[in-house]
Amino acid sequence: MWELIIVQPLTNLLLWIYDVLGHGPHMFGLAIILFTVLIKLVTWPLNASQVKGAQAMQELQNDKEWQDIQKKYAKDREKLAQEQMRIYREKGINPFASCLPTLIQFPIIIGLYQSIIRALSVTPLDMLKLARTVYPFQNVENIIPLNSTFLWMDLGRPESIQILGFGLPTLAVIVALTTWMQTKLTMPATSNPNDQTAQMTRMMSIYMPLMLGWFSLTFASGISVYFIISNILGIVQYAATGRANWRNLIPGASKQTSPAKK
Amino acid sequence: MKTKKLTLFFLLIIGALLISACTGQPLTNNFPGLTADAERAYISTGSFIYAVDVQNGRQVWSYPESADNEFLYFANPVLTEDGQLLIGSAGTNHAFISLDPATGNEKWAEPFSGAKGAWVASPLVFNDTIYAPNTDGYLYVLDLNGNQVSTPIEIGGALWSAPVTDGTYIYLNSLDHHFHILNPNTNQLADPIDLGGAAPGSPTVGNDGVYAGSFSSDVKFIAPNGRNDVIASASDWIWGAPAFDNETLYYADLSGNIFSLDLKTNRQNWDSLQPDGPVTASLLVVGDQIYVATEAGSFIALDRDGKIVWEKTPGGKIYTTPVLSNDLILVAPYQAEFALAAYDADGKQAWTFTPNK
Repeated sequence: MWELIIVQPLTNLLLWIYDVLGHGPHMFGLAIILFTVLIKLVTWPLNASQVKGAQAMQELQNDKEWQDIQKKYAKDREKLAQEQMRIYREKGINPFASCLPTLIQFPIIIGLYQSIIRALSVTPLDMLKLARTVYPFQNVENIIPLNSTFLWMDLGRPESIQILGFGLPTLAVIVALTTWMQTKLTMPATSNPNDQTAQMTRMMSIYMPLMLGWFSLTFASGISVYFIISNILGIVQYAATGRANWRNLIPGASKQTSPAKK
Repeated sequence: MKTKKLTLFFLLIIGALLISACTGQPLTNNFPGLTADAERAYISTGSFIYAVDVQNGRQVWSYPESADNEFLYFANPVLTEDGQLLIGSAGTNHAFISLDPATGNEKWAEPFSGAKGAWVASPLVFNDTIYAPNTDGYLYVLDLNGNQVSTPIEIGGALWSAPVTDGTYIYLNSLDHHFHILNPNTNQLADPIDLGGAAPGSPTVGNDGVYAGSFSSDVKFIAPNGRNDVIASASDWIWGAPAFDNETLYYADLSGNIFSLDLKTNRQNWDSLQPDGPVTASLLVVGDQIYVATEAGSFIALDRDGKIVWEKTPGGKIYTTPVLSNDLILVAPYQAEFALAAYDADGKQAWTFTPNK
């Protein structure tokens, strides 16, 4: 089922884009970039609702009732959590909305990883799987084997640049950085340092870059290209709303402006 | 809050592990490689290479002592006349090694490590020289001590199959859709010949030239001077090397069709034969029987008229070309309960081999 619904369509989409691009050197990297743009377009409504959710969270910080319960139940965490959930329900806010797009990306990431490995076919067994994956309309005899070169990378393998004898994982660093930027920019400003949702989001801004950076370090660099383009598009989409919190990118800046710290 | 931080952290770790697990098998995975002489069979199945006594199916040795994921072996090992067993690693370490077939001990002072890609193909040993094709698109030329004797020859495209020779020229297929002819005296390549599709299997030497199949589904005859013609077609990709036997060429395709081409008349000896599932292994002709191994896991003996003499299902899938050792046909299934099985000409199973734990 997973194969039929996820891996097969993704692989064929990648191959089709690669074929349209002319299947030369660097074209598989471009195919992954175009594929990412397509995925972003398809998931645009989901991301838009996430942006709305984040905005609602930001506005909630200035809500009088919200601020009152923070003070009132400051020493009763259980009651505070109950009251917060009540307000979320009443205002139709999903406190985990900022995490959802990232979580929903997971099946796409897994499928894309399998599709890239399948499409690049580094072993005869992979090639056999590819033969069974392609749809009849694909002109696959002409395009395989795929050219896995993109810029300085082999998209089928983890990336690193050799500097003074050390392999520097450039893409993993860029993935971690762009993931951190995206999470930070979409992080709602909070007037309450004990706000649990905000703290969860802050934790995400630490763990998500580390986790995706680790994936990039371990898996085929084609995945890293997907992460980077996806993150950049996510940042652009959020910035387009005019609500991006650019000050969050400056360490300490958000704390200085936080009303709670005044 | 610390508890929540920890919970979130562990949830993310579990998520990471799940994704790692869901991505499936290791980066490099493949079906086994197999070769044999009159005493032993040699099977490469990932981290290990095993030597098996063909008399009784018992393990003689295994290499290396413990698994190292940097080194993975899937190519058919190659025996040399001077008593070496050659194979390259398809893992992240691209070492090309020589073992003592009797003991499994390394024979060279150090492995050849000059290739940039994985070793999927077996080498050809010709005139005391090793011609080793690599997935980096180069043919490496080594002496029998593992030293490079000339600059690598750029072929183009990943090389997945062993070169062959007619005693004068060296012929090899490439995934770059081309067939290449090398003069071993000068290391000069003739103009590449377009096969119309990637060619993962070896070509086959015939009487006056070479036969090559490819993903174009055509079989081409190529003369040493480069003249070439399509002499037959299949209905799907041709993977394994065609099998040449006197005036007949046997080949199969990924749809599971088995063909028998009369080379005198250029006509098929039978109309349609599709016994059981896709075929990637080359067909093996021994005496009056043609042995077919299918992905569906069937091991079939045909007579020359295309009639099934017997059919066995050893288990797992069979992608590896069966080999002959003495009077036994050895089959190496993939993902089966055992790594190797031996059958006689009547289809009686002589033994199976499972690696020692």
